[in-house]
Amino acid sequence: MKLTKDTDRDCARAWEAMPWVLQDSAPQEQSAWLTEHLAGCESCREEFAQQSRLRLALALPTDVQVDADAGLKKLLGRIDAADAEQAQPHVRNGSWFTRALVAAVLVQALGIGVLGVKLWSEDAVQSYRTLSQSTPAAMPGAIHVVPDTSMKLADWNTLLHSLQLQVVGGPNDVGAYTVVPAHAAGATDALQQLRSAHGIRLAEPATSGP
Amino acid sequence: MKDADIDADETDRLLLQRMAAGDRAALAVLYRSYHGRLCRFLSRLTRRADVIEEVVNDCFWIVWQKAGGFNGDSRVSTWIIGIAYRCGLKALRQRGDEPVDDENIPEDRIPSHDPGEDRELRDWLGKGMERLSADQRVVVELVYGVGHTLDDVAAIMQCPVGTVKARLFHARVKLRNVLPALAGDQLTQKESVP
Repeated sequence: MKLTKDTDRDCARAWEAMPWVLQDSAPQEQSAWLTEHLAGCESCREEFAQQSRLRLALALPTDVQVDADAGLKKLLGRIDAADAEQAQPHVRNGSWFTRALVAAVLVQALGIGVLGVKLWSEDAVQSYRTLSQSTPAAMPGAIHVVPDTSMKLADWNTLLHSLQLQVVGGPNDVGAYTVVPAHAAGATDALQQLRSAHGIRLAEPATSGP
Repeated sequence: MKDADIDADETDRLLLQRMAAGDRAALAVLYRSYHGRLCRFLSRLTRRADVIEEVVNDCFWIVWQKAGGFNGDSRVSTWIIGIAYRCGLKALRQRGDEPVDDENIPEDRIPSHDPGEDRELRDWLGKGMERLSADQRVVVELVYGVGHTLDDVAAIMQCPVGTVKARLFHARVKLRNVLPALAGDQLTQKESVP
């Protein structure tokens, strides 16, 4: 019984060792042990013989013939094609959608540019001024006028109309308006009449210093 | 590793360095050096020559692109065969495994010099390998045909060594059961006992 167990264990060990002994990669002691075991074990001898034959058969060149030169030529062609593709500008590789998108962006940029130039040139000759903007200092004949707080709007409008004055600024923090005469020549007369008008607390030329 | 293997690996590493610098002559040398063994290895996965050629080129396309990134943890041959294995599996997934029967191989695909004993041996092997799964055939090829260790095979197939051992064990059991019968009495008698 013991002999059988030992034999089984040795046969299993021989089974494990066979591929590596055949490969010549097993340690010397393992190869020597296997040789010794094979000498006394017919079953393992048959198995080893079959393993040797298997190795021999697997070492044969494959019967599926593939031309190495033709394959290499194809591979080099593939590498050439990849290099050529890489060398091309990237935009060319895009789809029609990408190209259309790029064209749309260019047209938009052009439009914005044209519009910008036009608006900039219009700004240069601005023909209007908002009341929140400061009164231009160089406006000829401008007069600062402070009407009395009790003065009615209708009286104020009538006075401006009779003197042909136009409000161009104000009222500021102290309630002063800036008015200009319709004709610059009448600025002095208008100033005098404003000073003498009822309901006007102050009338001074805008150009004179404080 | 044997001295011859060390020398071969050193040569392969030099070729990879040259390829990393864009040397196509080095690529050609390495391609021709590996073509035979890769074709034989891949023929265990598929019998279609066109698929094998495509897989070899896919493999070397990757080797060419990644030559500079080879980290040297394994032998160059282990690295290249691992790439070929993965390319082969990918090709089979995409196309479906359609082995070509020997009867369907065109005449010009059969080697002109094929001594009778080799032919007989090849047939015997082919019939035995038919009984194995693709993974088992690959393990048998890598261990018996190429001479890789279990660790190498595990690296190539990207699986644990235990899995490789199990595949090898089951492959050997199947072959032990079918090969003697396939060999016939005559072949069995021819075998010399070591």
